[in-house]
Amino acid sequence: MERNIALIALFAALIAALGIIPAVMLPFGVPITAQSLGVMLCGTVLGARRGTLAVLLFLLLVFLGLPLLSGGKGGLGVIVGPTGGFVIGFPVAAFVAGFVTERWRGAPLAVTAGVGAAVGGVVLYAFGIAGMAIVLDKTPAQAALLVTAFIPGDAIKAVIAGLVTSALYRARPRAVLSRA
Amino acid sequence: MISLTSPVETWAHGWPAGAKLAALCAATMGLFALDSVAGQGAAFAMMLALYAAPGAVFLRNGLARLRMLWPFLAVIFVWHLVTATPAEGAIIALRLVTAVGLANLVTMTTQLSDMIGVVRWLAAPLRRIGIGTRALELGIALVIRFTPMLAQKGAALSRAWRARSARRPGWRIVLPFTLIAIDDAERVADALKARGGV
Amino acid sequence: MAQPLALSNVSLALEGRAILHGITLNGDQRRIGIVGRNGSGKSTLARVIAGLQAPDSGDVRLFGVDVAQDRKAAIRTVGILFQNPDHQIIFPTVDEEIAFGLTQLGQTKAEAAAGVRAILEQFGKGHWAGAAVHPLSQGQKQLLCLMAILAMRPRLIVLDEPLSGLDIPTRMQLMRYLDGVDAHLLHISHDPATLAGYDRVIWISGGAIAADGLAADVLPEFTADMQRLGGMDDISDLAG
Repeated sequence: MERNIALIALFAALIAALGIIPAVMLPFGVPITAQSLGVMLCGTVLGARRGTLAVLLFLLLVFLGLPLLSGGKGGLGVIVGPTGGFVIGFPVAAFVAGFVTERWRGAPLAVTAGVGAAVGGVVLYAFGIAGMAIVLDKTPAQAALLVTAFIPGDAIKAVIAGLVTSALYRARPRAVLSRA
Repeated sequence: MISLTSPVETWAHGWPAGAKLAALCAATMGLFALDSVAGQGAAFAMMLALYAAPGAVFLRNGLARLRMLWPFLAVIFVWHLVTATPAEGAIIALRLVTAVGLANLVTMTTQLSDMIGVVRWLAAPLRRIGIGTRALELGIALVIRFTPMLAQKGAALSRAWRARSARRPGWRIVLPFTLIAIDDAERVADALKARGGV
Repeated sequence: MAQPLALSNVSLALEGRAILHGITLNGDQRRIGIVGRNGSGKSTLARVIAGLQAPDSGDVRLFGVDVAQDRKAAIRTVGILFQNPDHQIIFPTVDEEIAFGLTQLGQTKAEAAAGVRAILEQFGKGHWAGAAVHPLSQGQKQLLCLMAILAMRPRLIVLDEPLSGLDIPTRMQLMRYLDGVDAHLLHISHDPATLAGYDRVIWISGGAIAADGLAADVLPEFTADMQRLGGMDDISDLAG
């Protein structure tokens, strides 16, 4: 019990801390922040249930007014802002990433976690695009057009999530609860 | 940790947080139902008046927080210029800024402890049916305690990287960073257990 | 009365490696020191004595309490001060950190708040009430940990090298606080000078007791052996 709470809280803090690390620039000039990578890692490392709880805990503190979203954003404004859908999609994405990693045991962890993170990413975009369509009063197809620039970055992040998860499993097998 | 609460004390700081949140919900739903440029413009002006009431420092601080919206406003502007639908564009843009502005206003005028109080109040029915909320409160405290510490350790990691590399630390720093979080979690679990656990 | 410290034949392996080998230890001295090199198993022993880690075999009892099994009684009996205060402090403010242990003992919020004030006053740190933990210095954090433990009034406090990494004045100030503590102390250190005034010193090597006796006998022996090893190159040996 203590261990579960500690891991959930520290991964919530990890998502926040990853938002503080400056954005990494991809070769073609698209900035990617490590924050959504943190969200995926919550799922692929802690598993669906605990990973979702970690992301929910993080979001609760964001909504309560702590500037933990990347770029120092936070507070209630982020929900009604144009990227609110992405924020609301975070816990669902972590759940999906964790679910795939937990259930699919037939391939190396780097692959299952990577695919999990990719599927989680698709779900995240579905939420993000829906949110943008509502706030900006556009059709989903039009809203999707606005976020295409970020897709390559997130595809790379899914690969990184897979690699990091499998490296963590080698370093701290006990902590990778999605494989426990 | 520094929260987004404004250092400028306003009259609204004293209002009950629950009431402010309820009013915000109602106002946001109203904004999305309102379909006229004049109505949205009036709401926008009211929002600005609320920001201006506590003084110039508060107003400047509040407007700075809305700056993150400009890329989206630019997109709306271009879009509705091209499609020749200026009225729709104005409604969308005004509504966006007013909704985010009002939500930020609640955040700026509510102490973190008051917000946590609302969470505790919302969780009260759970306690009555026997679900413990102690873990939730402990979780909130742990995140506030460990986020600055993890950020500091992350900065130390990237210093260690740059001390031996000409390039900026890339994604490879995520693995050791996550290891730090995991190892800290194991120690926190010990510290919790040493004083009676959950 | 039950022995303050009673370990019988305690063995423990972690992740397949044997760490502690049949340690038997009885004591009623108020100040006991434990010395040993890095990796000798002394920190693991500290966790076992504090009841954080149950041994694979053997028995650990402090004042008659089985600290690994009976956690409720254990937190009234034993407290532990870790080497790094950042591994110990759970809460973002000084008050919450101290109050946590008190509510864990079953005190009400009001009782705990009074307890927090009392311990802060006792240390002349009344002005720390409400302060955030993050900007505190390492020495201040360590003192906070000590106050949080003392507020719970345990009968024995395990010190897992809390002084290492502090500068000399801070270390001397903390040692003065520690010397004033009424509870029994079990102080783990690799620095013989810290333990010079202790009633008894135990030397742990390779997960077993290498020597046990008066500080005046064990410490010089330990120091001489450490200096002998310092002339060698066992740093090249890998664990395995």
